[in-house]
Amino acid sequence: MRKRIIYTIALAVLLVSAQNSLGQDWGLTFSAGVASSQMNDLKYLQEHILSTYPVEGKITSSFPPFTSASITMFKQLYDHIRIGGGYSYSTTGGKSSYADYSGDISTEMNATSHRLGAYLSYLVLGGDRLDLSLNGSLEANLTSLSLQSYYEILNYSNGISNNYRSLSPSVSAGGELMYTLKKISLGMEAGYLVDLKGDLKDTDDGDPLVDPNDTERVLSSDWTGWYVRLKALIWLKL
Amino acid sequence: MRTYIPIFFTVLLLSGLHACFYSDSLMYEVEPVPGDPPILSVSTNLDTLHNPPVNDSLEVIYQAVVEGGEFYYVYADVVNTLIFESDSSYGSFWIDSVLADSSGVDTLYMEFYYSSNTNSLADKVNYEARTEILKYAIDFNLGGTK
Repeated sequence: MRKRIIYTIALAVLLVSAQNSLGQDWGLTFSAGVASSQMNDLKYLQEHILSTYPVEGKITSSFPPFTSASITMFKQLYDHIRIGGGYSYSTTGGKSSYADYSGDISTEMNATSHRLGAYLSYLVLGGDRLDLSLNGSLEANLTSLSLQSYYEILNYSNGISNNYRSLSPSVSAGGELMYTLKKISLGMEAGYLVDLKGDLKDTDDGDPLVDPNDTERVLSSDWTGWYVRLKALIWLKL
Repeated sequence: MRTYIPIFFTVLLLSGLHACFYSDSLMYEVEPVPGDPPILSVSTNLDTLHNPPVNDSLEVIYQAVVEGGEFYYVYADVVNTLIFESDSSYGSFWIDSVLADSSGVDTLYMEFYYSSNTNSLADKVNYEARTEILKYAIDFNLGGTK
């Protein structure tokens, strides 16, 4: 609670300090890059599934940093401050498998995060061409997870597929360095996202995805991690 | 020049679309190291008989022992007819004279399936088996019954 008050005061100070320079411009940013994620529960589930294989399989990928992109529309509220809203997307996944001459067995997980939220940016250093800003966003994070297991042994094959979903709030903070070319700016942004985790539920029946070793515990998605993205900004005259 | 810029960005965008969906095509490939092959020993009550006769019916008693492996299944067929199947390594069944159309010697086939010990995926889930087929000549003696 105390931290929240400090953050609110800091935000108010920033806004007041820049209020004498009201602007009217709108802008649109696109960014694409890489984001990491913790996904500890899903890594744990992946290891559990691997342990149920009748043979010694291997985890060939376990939620590595993968594609992340975002689109944001903002208003230049003051010289130093932009506010807006946007959509962000991240994806990652994991796979465990085993294959020999007699057949193969594999389990694939694909996780996707769709985030909608508010955006705030504060210009720290501004030059003719180069701008350095700090930014943050508060988002609602919808995670979709598909879990597919499949085997083919000699002439027999079978598979199972389940889809899960979770909803969680997430907060991100970072910085961006942009180089301005007339109506367009190019640069990069980096930061850290904290996902407050969301319990995964089956999309068909709403059943929670529980820990196979402790059915009282519901597994959750966790997109907490860093991100690095190339960014383009286009100024709009609305 | 300006007309090429949107085309360039469209191509760039399309070429990056596949990266929006996570996928991993890698499979962990293994060459299983086979263990020692199991040894199957089978004995039946027909072993010591020469062309045992099937007058009305004939009982066949068998026992299979698999050393270093697991017994899966036994099938028996005669006159192109499956007459017995079991997952028990010890048992018996009857050959009925009505199976044959005429008198004479025919062959009883007994197929024994047991573990392969190849340590492959199919072996581990009991889908892969070694097979041993035993043949016994039996004499259908229909006499006046047909």
